Amino acid sequence: MRSLRRGRPVVAARRRMSAAFDAAVTTVAILAGLALSAFILVVAGVPAEELANEFIVNTLTDADNLRAVLAQAAPLAFVGVGAALAFRVRFWNLGLEGQMIAGSVAATAIALADVGPPVWRLFLMLVAAMAAGMAWALVPALLKLRLGVNEVISSLLLNYVALNFLLHLLYGSWKDPVDAFPHSPAFDPFERLPDLGWGLNAALPLVAAAAVFAAWLLGRSRAGFYMRFVHANPSVALAKGLPVAALVLTAVLLSGGYAALAGVCLSVGQEGRLTQAFFAGYGFSGILIAFLARNNALAAVVVAFLVAVLFVSGQSLQVFYQIPFAMVRLIEAIVIISAAASEFFLRYQVRWLR
Amino acid sequence: MMEFLIAWWANVPEAAAAYALAALGLLLCERSGVLNLTAEGLMLVGAMAAMGAALQIEGYPGMALVVGMLAAALVSLLFALLVVTLRVNQVIAGLAIVFFCQGFTQLLGVMFDWQNHPVPGLLPVRIPLLADMPIIGRVLFEQNGVVYLIVPIFFAVQWVLHQTRAGLRLRSVGENPEAADAAGVSVPLVRFGAIVAGSALIGLAGGLLSVGGVKMWFPDMAGGRGWIAVALVIFARWQPWRALAGAVLFGCIESLVPRIAAAGIRVPQYFMLMTPYVITLVVMAWTAWKGRSRSSEPGALGQPFSREERR
Repeated sequence: MRSLRRGRPVVAARRRMSAAFDAAVTTVAILAGLALSAFILVVAGVPAEELANEFIVNTLTDADNLRAVLAQAAPLAFVGVGAALAFRVRFWNLGLEGQMIAGSVAATAIALADVGPPVWRLFLMLVAAMAAGMAWALVPALLKLRLGVNEVISSLLLNYVALNFLLHLLYGSWKDPVDAFPHSPAFDPFERLPDLGWGLNAALPLVAAAAVFAAWLLGRSRAGFYMRFVHANPSVALAKGLPVAALVLTAVLLSGGYAALAGVCLSVGQEGRLTQAFFAGYGFSGILIAFLARNNALAAVVVAFLVAVLFVSGQSLQVFYQIPFAMVRLIEAIVIISAAASEFFLRYQVRWLR
Repeated sequence: MMEFLIAWWANVPEAAAAYALAALGLLLCERSGVLNLTAEGLMLVGAMAAMGAALQIEGYPGMALVVGMLAAALVSLLFALLVVTLRVNQVIAGLAIVFFCQGFTQLLGVMFDWQNHPVPGLLPVRIPLLADMPIIGRVLFEQNGVVYLIVPIFFAVQWVLHQTRAGLRLRSVGENPEAADAAGVSVPLVRFGAIVAGSALIGLAGGLLSVGGVKMWFPDMAGGRGWIAVALVIFARWQPWRALAGAVLFGCIESLVPRIAAAGIRVPQYFMLMTPYVITLVVMAWTAWKGRSRSSEPGALGQPFSREERR
């Protein structure tokens, strides 16, 4: 009886939802997540008055840092759009890092074996990378479509398989003979993504084209329309006679191909050789980007840029304040948790009933 | 040959114990209808908290394990808040918690400098008389305390799930939350309880990795065992005794890998390290191919319950 007198909160499903309200709630949630992260950073020993400086002013106004942000944004946009493609057909592709590894291993194999004339080398590397990324994504896709195996676990486990295969190569036959470190020999200049001047390489136009293609596919094409149908209700889509399996397979394979290209941006583009941990942290970033962008390819590019700002700030925090780079992972997780929690307020109204 | 087998088998119970604890914890949670992908993260939290406690209070590894359990249970409250109260998609929430834990444990462990400091940790307890038996004595009766604890924990889980009113409520919430709700069971409360209790077991599994197994801490030390435990629960069709059998299987595989290297058999090391993951995949495909896992899945697994949208 006491609870009746004092009143209690009542949750009711929201009938209408405006785009403006949606955007406002999501923005507030992300800002709340960032505020909490800022608090943790202050506790960890970063002076509060330096935070804004580190995160916003330095990354966007300093030419070197802006270059670093743009370079970082390319692979992030690739994984983000890749994740969005798979999520559009309700396929949890958590194997993005494994697909990045598979792609870079294939590209490196082409480079080390000197396949084809030098003029065509880079093109062949990109094609091989995409093929390998797709092949790596094909495994969980087929397991799900044929046998109904949960793709969350199967795609994730394949990351560990790919990682161990990478280490096998780097500690074995691909070890650099020059310095005997566990990374591959450096690529020749014509095997790297070309420079476009101002310190930026060809990854940027590549990712722009890829994002526009994905946006067209998801937003404008017939297949994209069908994919939205599959996302809304796979069994009804199947009953309506849509080729659900083919749609899922297309989206997942593209997702794997995009993830492979993200790997290429890092190994072939930035590092110029295959290294041990070039992919670390990109898988979850891709999921975060796709989630915050609501699986929209163009929005994913914008979010990828913001995550790149976070990455570059994280690197300078590491240099200047000895904050481990894991902080970036933590901030990403906090942001995604607060954004996911905020969806409750989009879907439900909470009133106080007396 | 016998030497090799005994050295291998003697390491099986401890490796299997971590899988068994994690799988039993997950099973409790999933029988209440909550798809729990947080195991990898909660194991990391348990491992780090237990090691932190072991470094602060030396000489009480049992206390350290309890700290690990409490820490994992505490973090799981956040997961429960997300999936039960706020009805967030359980896959997204689970993943977010895993990455939260990965970032958090790495940050704290590195900042407090807990990395690579060996501790005495859990020591093997010799059971008098039984430990003197040939072979079996070495394999089964010279283990650390947590390994022996598996037996009562397993029977407790089995008993609670199938013999008690609380277990009946838990299973009814997992099978059909609408019916349970109509019968007067508080779905959110049961799910909160299941998540916290299950996560404490997962935290114990994590503590066993750091304080019991390698006796030190390093970032991401769970190394995918949490994900394997998730797969194990599917393979076990949400039955405790099958989960235990699966845990022993994976314990055998995991402890075989270093033995082969130690015996001087030359196989590519990294291919050996791949085997637990590949075998998990094969087992998952095989279970799905047999086609019986779907029917034994808790009816409401993965679906948020909201009274307002009752069908």
